[in-house]
Amino acid sequence: MNGALFLVSLRQAASLKRLAVIVVFALVPLGTAIAISALGDGEDLVNSVLDPLVIATFLPITVMTIATTAFGNEVEDRTLGLLTMKPVSRLAIVLAKLGATLSVTAPLAVLVAIVVTVLGSDDESVGSAAVAAGVAAAMGAAAYSSIFTWAGLMNTRALGFGLVYVLLWEALLVTFIEGLRYLSVRSYIIGVMHGMEESAFSELADRSIELPAALAGAILATVVFAYLTVRRLQTMDVP
Amino acid sequence: MTTYASPTIQVNAVSKWYGNVVAVNDVTFDVHPGISGILGPNGAGKTTLLHIIAGLAAPSEGEVRVLGEPSRGNPELYRRIGVMAEHDALYPFMTGREFVTFAARLQGVQDSDAVDEAIRAVDLVEAQGRRIGGYSRGMRQRIRMAASLVHDPEVLILDEPLNGTDPRQRLHFGEMVQRFAASGKTVLISSHILEEVEALAERILLMVSSKLAASGDYRAIREKLDERPFMVRVVASKQRDMAAALVRNPAVESISLADGAIDVQTGNIGEFQSVVARLAQEVGSRLYRVEPLDDSLESVFTYVVQR
Repeated sequence: MNGALFLVSLRQAASLKRLAVIVVFALVPLGTAIAISALGDGEDLVNSVLDPLVIATFLPITVMTIATTAFGNEVEDRTLGLLTMKPVSRLAIVLAKLGATLSVTAPLAVLVAIVVTVLGSDDESVGSAAVAAGVAAAMGAAAYSSIFTWAGLMNTRALGFGLVYVLLWEALLVTFIEGLRYLSVRSYIIGVMHGMEESAFSELADRSIELPAALAGAILATVVFAYLTVRRLQTMDVP
Repeated sequence: MTTYASPTIQVNAVSKWYGNVVAVNDVTFDVHPGISGILGPNGAGKTTLLHIIAGLAAPSEGEVRVLGEPSRGNPELYRRIGVMAEHDALYPFMTGREFVTFAARLQGVQDSDAVDEAIRAVDLVEAQGRRIGGYSRGMRQRIRMAASLVHDPEVLILDEPLNGTDPRQRLHFGEMVQRFAASGKTVLISSHILEEVEALAERILLMVSSKLAASGDYRAIREKLDERPFMVRVVASKQRDMAAALVRNPAVESISLADGAIDVQTGNIGEFQSVVARLAQEVGSRLYRVEPLDDSLESVFTYVVQR
């Protein structure tokens, strides 16, 4: 990864405005979890908050907000040429953008997943459940970063594409058509969580896929979309 | 015109189309060390051609080589070339110095002296610590120029670099580019303003309607431009007397009267400009207005193409 490019990408991704937006996003599942927990219904946080609000909504939308602009803004502002007309490999450019997106989104995603998990776990499994939630959220953030970074380079209206993808594919179709789970980042996150800590996440069993498939799927999605982004950068006409 | 053994830029039968729109049509030329200018009206295909030369866009047909290497899909070539695109592409959150340093780092240049030198060359030492978002258009052009020069490239490609600059900055820019070229390097500069290119370039590539219409020494092209018939509208008192005086003058090829004005076609615009005031004085006419009717670049270039 190119250090100078990573730092500039990080400055772009971590603007105060964007940070404020994703922190507000984070407050929704956190606030809901704290409220439910305070009311004494903490045992059901996996079903009521972790899956629908953190995994299916907060995580993809937060990553989408940052990742689609990683190249999207460069294309729109016509600054992409400043990067591509330098002796830097296209892979290094993509890795810098992905690294910056992950540096901003993954810590928050992991934190929110862990806090909600801790609030909803019993004392015995809280440690391993928190680790499982953190690992799964980080892997999910990586996969979503790769997908939405590619989308941002393909189309300047990637935010619209992202919303359709999250709401239609991840939230709706994958829920009702079982076979699609193997093509769903949400299912990979659930599969990693459940596979690493079955007892704490037993409520996710009916939505889960096998741990090896979940790990392979998350890694494959990350690598394949990163590769597609590099290819796009190599072949596109830079505006 | 000086010729060199090996061209630094070779454009061979290059075409570029987007769907049914042809942006560049079968263009072939070589560029050698020194300053060459691509001249043409807006929409002629200059920017598309420069994008192809710079490797930003793939030609639909044909081939481009810069310093003997293909420019497309060849990032290592950018160590040897500097490109300043037409668009005002900058990161407004950076200071001028940060922007040039960023360009230097991406070029693998770690030496801060190179950054100092590039900023000094564009005369932005005092403003280097300010955010680019607060720069004037001319300052933005100059900081982009510094970023293009910071790695001391062998070839410099500049697309409309004088946009937004004032006369003093143009003079400074001209001197800088000429110094750069004097060291045996190549500059390819585009503009839609004849005088800009004429003042800098030893060789002109004239583009009209996606094609290369003419190329060569600027004096030869300038002569062609000066030979063309001009249409000039003269508005004066005693219109009939003025028209009679004009039609007797050898610089005037024909006249027509329309809406209180005299439209004059002249084959020698310089001679016409020098006699029109004297003719008015001789017939006791007062000149209200003398204005060219077809002085647009498009008409000038079209004339050259038709020749």
